[in-house]
Amino acid sequence: MRLTTTGSARNFAEGVVGRIAAHDLPQSERVHHIRLLQDCDGAIQDLTGYRGVLAYGSAPTSLPVVDRLREVLTFADGDVVVLEPNGFVRSLYRPREKHHSMFVTERCSSNCLMCSQPPKDHDDVDALTARNRELIRLMNPKPEYLTITGGEPTLLGDHLFDLLDEAKRLLPSTAIHILSNGRTLAWPQYCARIAELGHPDLSFGIPLYSDVAGDHDYVVQAKGAFDQTLSGFHQAARHGIRVEVRIVLHRLTVPRLARLAEFIFRNLPFAEHVALMGLEFVGYTARNVAELWIDPFDYQLELAAAVRFLSERGITVSIYNHQLCVLQPELWGYARKSISDWKNLYLPACEQCARREACGGLFQWAAKKHSSHIHPL
Amino acid sequence: MDKEVPGLGSTVTIELDRTLFSAEAVLKTCHWFSKDFAFEICAREGACLSVSLTVKQASVASECVRADFISMATDFTLRERIEARTTSIRELLLAKAFAEAGVLEDSPEGVFGDPIEEEKPDGLFKILSNASG
Amino acid sequence: MPRTFYPAENFAPVPNSVSLLPFRFTRLFGKELLVNEAGEYLFAPEGTVHALVSGSFAATTELYKDLKAKHFLYDDTSSPLLDILAAKIRTKFQHIYGGTKLHIFVVTLRCEHSCHYCQVSRQGAAKGEFDMSTATADRALALMFDSPAPHLTLEMQGGEPLLAFDMIRYLVPRAKAMAKERGKMLDLVVTTNLAVATDEMLQYLADEGVKVSTSLDGPAFLHNQNRPRPGNDSYERAIDGIARARKIVGVENVAALMTTTSASLDHVEEIIDEYVRQEFHTIFLRPISPYGFAVKSRKRTGYEMARFLEFYKRGLKHILEINRSGYRLAEIYTQILLTKILTPYGTGYVDLQSPAGEAWNVLVYNYDGNVFASDESRMLAEMRDNTFRLGNVHKDTRRTLLTSDAALAMFESSCNQTLVGCSDCAFQAYCGADPIFHHATQGDMYGHRPSSDFCARNMESIKHLFSYIAQDDPATMGIFWAWLTGRPLPSLEVPCA
Repeated sequence: MRLTTTGSARNFAEGVVGRIAAHDLPQSERVHHIRLLQDCDGAIQDLTGYRGVLAYGSAPTSLPVVDRLREVLTFADGDVVVLEPNGFVRSLYRPREKHHSMFVTERCSSNCLMCSQPPKDHDDVDALTARNRELIRLMNPKPEYLTITGGEPTLLGDHLFDLLDEAKRLLPSTAIHILSNGRTLAWPQYCARIAELGHPDLSFGIPLYSDVAGDHDYVVQAKGAFDQTLSGFHQAARHGIRVEVRIVLHRLTVPRLARLAEFIFRNLPFAEHVALMGLEFVGYTARNVAELWIDPFDYQLELAAAVRFLSERGITVSIYNHQLCVLQPELWGYARKSISDWKNLYLPACEQCARREACGGLFQWAAKKHSSHIHPL
Repeated sequence: MDKEVPGLGSTVTIELDRTLFSAEAVLKTCHWFSKDFAFEICAREGACLSVSLTVKQASVASECVRADFISMATDFTLRERIEARTTSIRELLLAKAFAEAGVLEDSPEGVFGDPIEEEKPDGLFKILSNASG
Repeated sequence: MPRTFYPAENFAPVPNSVSLLPFRFTRLFGKELLVNEAGEYLFAPEGTVHALVSGSFAATTELYKDLKAKHFLYDDTSSPLLDILAAKIRTKFQHIYGGTKLHIFVVTLRCEHSCHYCQVSRQGAAKGEFDMSTATADRALALMFDSPAPHLTLEMQGGEPLLAFDMIRYLVPRAKAMAKERGKMLDLVVTTNLAVATDEMLQYLADEGVKVSTSLDGPAFLHNQNRPRPGNDSYERAIDGIARARKIVGVENVAALMTTTSASLDHVEEIIDEYVRQEFHTIFLRPISPYGFAVKSRKRTGYEMARFLEFYKRGLKHILEINRSGYRLAEIYTQILLTKILTPYGTGYVDLQSPAGEAWNVLVYNYDGNVFASDESRMLAEMRDNTFRLGNVHKDTRRTLLTSDAALAMFESSCNQTLVGCSDCAFQAYCGADPIFHHATQGDMYGHRPSSDFCARNMESIKHLFSYIAQDDPATMGIFWAWLTGRPLPSLEVPCA
């Protein structure tokens, strides 16, 4: 499923965010909407009052417009999209999906070997924040659960606090989960600011890849990251900020996984959840595949031991991004259907599988690299 | 060599090199043996400590008093060396443990890691560093 | 501009200097057991400690990483994270924060039992003679609520407290009113043999939310032998009382404790089976305390600590078998020790705290207004030893009680970190101090560890539990963790292949 396309942009200099209107709306209801003109729409209509126009064909109009779209996106009424002055069109929010995320920056203070969103050192914070403020305003229906992701969201400084304030105001019953390397949280003043916001349902998902600094810092390619991340965990706990630990499973993290589980129990007993995640074959992973790739089937013993260790001690554990046929049956209860709808794929072998409904499937890019043990159950 | 089964009242004498075993380690070892033994310690010539243990309880079972004693004294010597190297950091740890929140906390170390923010004169990194500096 | 990837050596260079963090050690099962300042342990091969001390340790091994991760050493390639280690230490000492939580009110010394091991009770006494007066009760309540602890427990004891039911009815509503006024949480417990419990009394306890703690020493022959009363029917009355109490007060609000006597020592399996038969899910295998009348009647109830330790080990083995068959039965002392060994947390159990929890965490208000540092101290007072009498409710404030000579003398000897024998002990973090026990048994609050029953009991119990930990049998450890977390026992099903 595509989320972006390009076309020919005219009549605007900054991003335009709006809700898709696939059918004509009365003028009083047009102000938040971007009119999507499809082939069946025939002759030019009166488009006054719309925020912008999207068209597969040509659409002469003085409104902000991107027409002659190159790829077909499955737009639906209510989707929130952004039109960019360089002709890019991005789908930001699709009400029919279960998983929603908000992308806030490409900047990052780490450079993980397996990063699925490789960082770029250009300052996109102002533009993206303006876009995201509008996105928050336009999300309808309001999502149950929203993930804030990047890059490293805490690099937004005050902008992140603003976005969280907006979310608190306009999405009061939406749970917000921020994916962060946790390093900025090492500064108690930062945690104090977060705590002051008083958001009713906020948590941080922070990765930890080893119980020793050398190994963790190597995976995230940042000296001192382990020390800062651990301090960040502790300062967060000190300030009453909820945290969860995330571990991506690959050749560098699996050998000491049991030790890491023990480390989490003894040093981060306040973590409300531990997520054990499959490797995504996207972003940097391809470049580092020789060091990182291990068939998930081959680490089942270590994974089962870690899950048993943590859940025996009363810690909530989830397994993400693993197919059921590759997991030992005792672990099926911990596997979640976590792959975002737009990333999701099933292989031919999955056609006959009895557990296909319960299984999360694979990532799109798994077509290039996946376990040799995918088989129908 | 050490298969002595001491009877009530019998004495075992152990000679220890003072350069290897401190008086403190020897005393602590004697303390642990003092349930079953009465002891006498004297300094001898040539940096030697002589420890005489006299059995005071009929129920003493140990066949290897000499070996056990030396083993325990060795461990106490090791403990002394650990303590010597860790006393001051232990005091610091306990002071931190019982201090009021934030009072004895270290500031975060290391770089921020984001080149754009590090370059900004009024960036987040500067603000956080100055506040904690 | 794309970023560069750096090799592993960049992030984990060979350290120039390695420093030790404080730890203690012992030799166990052919290995070395190291315990760090926050009570975290590590089994290491023999020679590890010597290698650490002499600096001959290779920094590239997995063992080196283990030692670093568990705060036994640090090097110049990363932070020692002292604040995190300090936080872990602080967590282990939670018991010193918050003020006195447990307040024991001895409402009467009158009792119709004459248990061999009892330290205090008076038989055939007239009403009023050894009862707490309302004036004393008022003062004791005032002192209790002067404690800064946000969550208090009021435990009513005796003698047999139900014989002074009027006083119970006096205390309960007043305590609740004061709790409300001061914004504190309050738990109420009465410790009773249930022999004189009427349904009306039980209904009152149920209505007021008072929990019941009773005694069950084992099967009938043992219980009645330990606890004589007119009619020799202590067991039958206890069983009947438990059944009625469960019905009226609620199953989850009725707990039983046992006392071990010389007679008990050969019957551990039978005692445990009795607890299962009576559908209890916790049991506390504890030694008899060496206080009060027990000293007088030493012949009947005296025994060696070695025999008790056999009793405990056999008992724990039997309990584990019962758990394996699917019946949940947790042994309390084991649970307390394992909490200290296996989890980041400390304990609320006064006898295993350091600084010792007596006076700090528990205060006993006797019927006559005298205030004691623990239940055992009041038993000593019955033998005319007032060493641990802190004061009297009619004369003292909370401040004068806790700064009395008796309190201060006790505090000085109550930190095992500073006691001879304990200061080097590998099990220091798992053990306590108990100056009152040592005063009673050895005549000296500091105590002589090599001949101390307290030390023998704890050292041997801890070693025994470490043998289970070292064996790491998944079924056994699964049972222990079910006890520690309150979660269900591990499934009996064998997972499908």
